[in-house]
Amino acid sequence: MLTPTKTTIAFSDGIEHELTVEPGQSVLDAALAAQAPVLFQCGTGSCGSCLAHLDEGEAEHRAGSSSSLLPSEREQGYRLLCLTEARGACKFSVGYDSAAGAGRPIEGKCFVNAVERIATDVVRLELELAEGCWMDFRPGQFIQVKVPGTDAVRSYSMATTVADLPKIELLIRILPGGVMSDWLVNRAAVDDVVEVSGPYGQFFLKDKVRAPHVMIAGGTGLAPMLAMIDALRVAPGRKPKVLLSFGCQTPDGLFSLEPIELRQHWMPTLDARISVDRGEPADGIRVGNPVAAITAEDGLTTDSVAYLCGPPAMIEAARKHLEHLGLAPENIFAEQFVASN
Amino acid sequence: MNDATPVRRRTLVRKNEISADRMNDEKTQSQYQPYKDAAWGFINHWYPALFSEELPEQAVEGIQIAGVPILLRRAAGKLYAIKDQCVHRGVRLSAKPMCFNDTSIACWYHGFNFDLATGVLNNIVANPDSKLIGKTGVTTYPVHEVAGMIFVFVREDDFPDEDVPPLAHDLPVRFPQSSEEYPHPLWPAAPGILDENAVALGMHRTGQSNWRIACENGFDNAHILVHADNAIVHAMDWVLPLGILPATDDAITLIEEEDGPKGQMQWLFTDRWTPVLENPALGLKVENLKGRFYRTSVVLPGVLMVENWPEEHVVQYEWYVPITDDLYEYWEVMVRICTTDEERKKFQYRFDNLYMPLCIRGFNDCDLYAREAMEEFYADGTGWDNEQLVETDISPITWRKLASRHARGIAKPGKGVTNATKTSSIRMRRLAQGKAPGYKVEKIENVNSY
Repeated sequence: MLTPTKTTIAFSDGIEHELTVEPGQSVLDAALAAQAPVLFQCGTGSCGSCLAHLDEGEAEHRAGSSSSLLPSEREQGYRLLCLTEARGACKFSVGYDSAAGAGRPIEGKCFVNAVERIATDVVRLELELAEGCWMDFRPGQFIQVKVPGTDAVRSYSMATTVADLPKIELLIRILPGGVMSDWLVNRAAVDDVVEVSGPYGQFFLKDKVRAPHVMIAGGTGLAPMLAMIDALRVAPGRKPKVLLSFGCQTPDGLFSLEPIELRQHWMPTLDARISVDRGEPADGIRVGNPVAAITAEDGLTTDSVAYLCGPPAMIEAARKHLEHLGLAPENIFAEQFVASN
Repeated sequence: MNDATPVRRRTLVRKNEISADRMNDEKTQSQYQPYKDAAWGFINHWYPALFSEELPEQAVEGIQIAGVPILLRRAAGKLYAIKDQCVHRGVRLSAKPMCFNDTSIACWYHGFNFDLATGVLNNIVANPDSKLIGKTGVTTYPVHEVAGMIFVFVREDDFPDEDVPPLAHDLPVRFPQSSEEYPHPLWPAAPGILDENAVALGMHRTGQSNWRIACENGFDNAHILVHADNAIVHAMDWVLPLGILPATDDAITLIEEEDGPKGQMQWLFTDRWTPVLENPALGLKVENLKGRFYRTSVVLPGVLMVENWPEEHVVQYEWYVPITDDLYEYWEVMVRICTTDEERKKFQYRFDNLYMPLCIRGFNDCDLYAREAMEEFYADGTGWDNEQLVETDISPITWRKLASRHARGIAKPGKGVTNATKTSSIRMRRLAQGKAPGYKVEKIENVNSY
């Protein structure tokens, strides 16, 4: 392909940006050159921030590139713009409005307020933005944290909202041999300073949706859900029904049950289901996976919205299950764990 | 030379240190964290704004509720409420009302003219072709006038019209509709503000404490000690206990029905509460003779109902309407059903000559100073952590949890509004002139001298 192609990106508020994509250029690079407010972060096909839907035309990921896009998502017409090459004129749509990309990421420093082991393999890290740093973000977005003493950078969804700033809470899974895990377990101390950047990602709460909300979280995928629940709780107007299904592998891997219970007390429209894959059923805890905890009896409607966060297999299963229960594919939003490399 | 900027912590935030062996330990307190955050009140609720007689035809008044400046106007028989803060540069329209017709009001400073029904900027006096016209406006507030009272739905700017609940959702439960659920064999069914032929008589005045301190006083069953010496109690020879203790675990019933008010009913003068009439160790005994049965309940956004008070067929309602975080408008209202003019006159006479001096004043004045006595302990926020509660405080604690669960929103600290900046020079000057911070906007009376 040797001639530039015309590409359009449509935002959910009806605003459209027209771009010229040069041969060999990714749609993302062309969008950024044209100052179209698209969300992105890694630029390498892993984080999923630049997800868009191909509405018209033909466009594929660069040959030989690997990405976190699921085959099922590709079939439904989704592409990651950072890897996408346009083959002729095409049109993409994104699930966020043209103002979402306005909150450009910042780089800043945080103090460690608390490092707390809340389950066998989960640490709650509470950070506080240092003097002079501020960050505006949407509930559900993530930040990157540079592991102190290394060059490694890791991404974590914030479990808190802008209302909690300067405090930011992260839920971090401890992985044997992990760089962040090593720092958290062996070295991290209150008053340490860490470098962060953000916010990133297009996995965030869509405004003013009145239909029921389903949230399925596997492990630390709970973090963005807590932020979204807090945002829903304080939004003006009647609160939508929210069904949170949270699952871990074993009972000793469960965490944040008290914060969930508190939110149920504060928001009568919130229903929570807690599952473990293995172990004995206990008071309020079922055995099974968090996806199957949502059933036809929950009366979900086609306009219900779903937020999924967890490992790829869980997301794949949840998508299928929810579509089977009648949800429209475009109302299902997902953020999957990306393996650290 | 090291020119890197040092990384500094923000100024330290106070840490919450609450011991676990307390009745309101950290866990309990976190259940009512939203209530602790509601220093400026709950928003997206119905509040009384004015008595009808305070707003005659063509009148304009400015008030403030939960940090929201509100303008009320009655024109051509219709009642309107809009935000009392010009979008242009924040002037309060009500300070010097300028109305060119019955459907709008102009800002007297630069002439921004707002439609009263929609709030839309529909003209600018000296700039009628401005591109801004039609593109901006002020928030409007739903109004409901009944039984001689004007209620306003005080909402956040983006609270949707279709979600505005009926006034009945922010008023106490009604009788006899709820008589089966909340039986009251000792007195006739209490009248309600929404009842046909209900007449509400009362007063409102500004109290200098946080609205929560005021509200919790109303249904605190140990607070009646402050009334032990009140004139009405002895003139009527009433048996007013020293205090009333919860006796069973169902002393309080939560009112939580989906389409109705949210609050709590206290089963006073049943076997679920024990009145304490003497304390021999301290040589105290209530020696009056006449039983005075009553019952208190409270619903969001802080509405007290005292059934069978101060006598049969009459009910007392109270509101503690937040103005700022340290001012509230105290509403004391008595309601009676009056079907004829004669009954109205009789009720008015009794109100003017008995209730007003001895109950609304005498008895309730006592509550006003009691709340203010508590204010300073809570004013800097530490009181909520340091209070040492006791058995009778199940009433406020239950209320705090319930309010945290069902309030429709927490008012944000007032920005750019009257009495938000405690040290402003205007506030200082008014104080020096002997004018206490209050509820209504002070009008510019004489345009040629100041």
